Amino acid sequence: MPHVDQHLSGDWLEADESVRIRLVANDQELPVEAPPRCTLADALRDNGLKGTRLGCEQGSCGACTVLLDGRPVRSCLMLAVQAEGGRLETVEGLAAGGELHALQRAFHDHGALQCGFCTSGFLMLAAGLLREEPDAGRERIREVLSANLCRCTGGGPILQAVLAAQRELRGGRG
Amino acid sequence: MTSGYIGVSVERDDLAFLDGTACYVADVDREGQLYARVVRSPVAHARILDIDVAEALAQPGVVAVITAADIPETRIPIRLPMAETPYTHLFLQPPLAREVVRYVGEPVAVVVASDPYLAEDAAELVDVDFDELDVVSDILSATTQGTPLVHAEAGTNIVATVPLGYGDVEAAFARADVVIRDRLRMHRHTAVPMETRGLLAEMDHGTGVLTLWGAAKVKHFTRSALSSMLGIERHRIRLVENHVGGGFGVRGEPYPEDFLVAFLALRLGRPIKWIEDRAEHFVATNHAREQEHDLEIAATADGRLLAFRDRAWCDQGAYVRSQGILPALLPALHLPGPYRWEAFSVETRGVLTNRTPVGTYRGPGMTEATFVRERMLDKLAAELRLDPAELRRRNLIRPGELPFSFEPAPITYESGDFPAGFEHLLDEVGYDDLCKQRQVRRASGEHVGIGFAAYTEIGAIGPFEEARIVPRSDGRFVVHVGVASLGQGVETVLGQIAAEKLGVPMDAVSIDHHDTEKLADGFGAFASRSTTLAGNAVALAAEDLRAKAAARLDVPAGEIRFVQGQVREPSGRTIPLAEVGEGRGRFDKPHPTFSFGAALSLVSIDRETGLVKVLRHAVLHDVGRAVNPELLRRQLAGAASQGIGAALLEELLYDEYGQPQSTIMADYRMPTVEELPDIEVIVEERPNTANPLGVKGGGESGMVGTPAAIANAVADALGVEGARVWRLPLTPDRVREMLRHH
Ligand code: FES
Ligand code: FES
Repeated sequence: MPHVDQHLSGDWLEADESVRIRLVANDQELPVEAPPRCTLADALRDNGLKGTRLGCEQGSCGACTVLLDGRPVRSCLMLAVQAEGGRLETVEGLAAGGELHALQRAFHDHGALQCGFCTSGFLMLAAGLLREEPDAGRERIREVLSANLCRCTGGGPILQAVLAAQRELRGGRG
Repeated sequence: MTSGYIGVSVERDDLAFLDGTACYVADVDREGQLYARVVRSPVAHARILDIDVAEALAQPGVVAVITAADIPETRIPIRLPMAETPYTHLFLQPPLAREVVRYVGEPVAVVVASDPYLAEDAAELVDVDFDELDVVSDILSATTQGTPLVHAEAGTNIVATVPLGYGDVEAAFARADVVIRDRLRMHRHTAVPMETRGLLAEMDHGTGVLTLWGAAKVKHFTRSALSSMLGIERHRIRLVENHVGGGFGVRGEPYPEDFLVAFLALRLGRPIKWIEDRAEHFVATNHAREQEHDLEIAATADGRLLAFRDRAWCDQGAYVRSQGILPALLPALHLPGPYRWEAFSVETRGVLTNRTPVGTYRGPGMTEATFVRERMLDKLAAELRLDPAELRRRNLIRPGELPFSFEPAPITYESGDFPAGFEHLLDEVGYDDLCKQRQVRRASGEHVGIGFAAYTEIGAIGPFEEARIVPRSDGRFVVHVGVASLGQGVETVLGQIAAEKLGVPMDAVSIDHHDTEKLADGFGAFASRSTTLAGNAVALAAEDLRAKAAARLDVPAGEIRFVQGQVREPSGRTIPLAEVGEGRGRFDKPHPTFSFGAALSLVSIDRETGLVKVLRHAVLHDVGRAVNPELLRRQLAGAASQGIGAALLEELLYDEYGQPQSTIMADYRMPTVEELPDIEVIVEERPNTANPLGVKGGGESGMVGTPAAIANAVADALGVEGARVWRLPLTPDRVREMLRHH
């Protein structure tokens, strides 16, 4: 099977013709074989990383949020081939060495989830934010979290949870 | 003997949602599965002249394409006897349109392919030749002279008329000092859970059993419906519930796709997977709420409510779905609310339009009725120059008057204390202070307003639930119930009840609600019924198990303990638990319970943009008894958030041709953390006398009063112009329009 690069200037591919795409997710190689039109979300989900959810495939809900080179992206709006060469992080990689991330614990403690369908996306969105802007203020956090939708909680408890995780993470930094 | 779990906020085990291992139906795969894609009508009303599937069939990966000609003549049945009439069968939906399509989104054909992308490509190529017909695009035009008929054979667009009456209405109106009358409209909107629907069906050729993953809410009914539609025995169909990404009333009813996916799995002998996409969801999954009321209220000059007359047109959409006439029946039952009327007459009508069928969404009927009544009460208060709180105070049914019945209307309030609940809400939010604040802020030119709503909510609808408790040899207990988990945490709540009643630690109990194979019957998760019905059934099953165990040892049931797989009595004699068999419980609930709730909202309006901001929002509900107060509070807060969305943002609009205008999330605006205040939740516990646990249910109640309270608050903020608030949502455009006249 050809690698996708070989087609960049060459022949057309059929809609269902697969190519090899090299993804790196949670610090592990994730070799994917999929048609070039396969979305990043589908490529992840078809290759064992099903924790990334699809709520709309229209770029609106954020359930599919993953980090690409540390920045949140909507994996439903991106093609898998576009993520080649980048570092992907998904919910499966959030807990390190069997220990839950501060955000995961805070989500539990603050009732930030009910059905859990939006949770992976919110966790990744918040993880990206707290790493990029560890001192983000409440209003900034609220603004960023408003990018995603949670139908069960409305999002208030998610904001509380992210603020609590931020306190913990900053405390940890000394 | 109890271990003290009931009433405690036991934490829910939610690890699987946090680490991504939760398994929703989209995450289930079966060897050799094929993917279904539904071809839907792009027009609202048309005769189907021809369907050409040849080109679609010739596409790579395509295995089959079916149309109505390939399936048996069958229709989706109604789930509740109370929601059926002698005529409703005329309007039931076939799984694939036959001859006529009646709404945009109606299934016309199904394409099955080896890959979901290919199935979607091929579906585009199914060529349907339509001869378009005139469209009924609005509830009011549905009943006017000469209007097109949605179902020509039925000869009418009226599905049902629900008349309810109490007392002598004419006499009460004749005595009135004041009569006010207005039209009010609740708009079309719906649940929009974050997970769309999805199904996976597989026939096991060895056992002859068809398994359907992705079930929810009313699994046992869906199984019976499929059994009769497919013509195979009930015990050969198994429905499995996976993790569910929100239900709120719309998920888990039997839909056309439930039949189609199961049918294809049988026909093709391979597993069939179908995951609804979001654009489909907006036209295929039940819509809700749209109705218009013409309401007239009679009162005395000192603010005593005498009587009301209501006539309403309630949208059913293009077909009557599994919830039958509930869209017209439930508002009728909730119009009187918690007030002492001398008389009323109600006539709600379920009418057909060429739009997506309507079902129930969280707080069904009650949310609409509460909006209509409470908005009118504020108008009455303005007319009488009375504080709206005072008007309600004077008319709430007092505890001494309970049980209170509006017979012959089937509405009876068994227990509670409505005035105390109402005062509790006002005290908790500091109503008097709030009024002062409003004064000050208005003086500085701000548009701020306070609004509230009081209501009654039907819940705990029967007929019954069953439970089985099976002890295992390792000392653990498996509890089988027929209700569903839709993200509410019902497992935790039922686990608490079982553990307390068995007298064992919670981690010795597991709740199994996933599978129709494990319990013969069940009615599912709707109408805030899970805790009441299944909870009491679990409690009875636990008592049954204790009684059986005690009988074996010849001691009173109160004296035995379950310890490490043994039954032990005080003097130390034991028998193995495995010898006792299983505990069974069945809780019957012939009459529903009504419970009391109220909501209060403080809003401000931006004069330039018309944008409404909710500054504070509080909801109160009498839940009888809170098994898990924290989980309940979260339910109430979540429901109130949805109610704020309904009041200010969300609307499913159609144009005059019946074309939906909101088929992507970007067009259907739902609230985010930016639009929502922290919801204040007040849980009252006035035990229900009608069941042993004393619970009343309440997972929907945060919704019920919320749109009404927000509408009243916006009207209050608008001052005199507020009288013009008659419909929702109160979008910036609409509010700005009203401000302009200010
Ligand atoms: S699934 Fe990607 S934004 Fe909704
Ligand atoms: S927890 Fe259900 S959508 Fe957020």
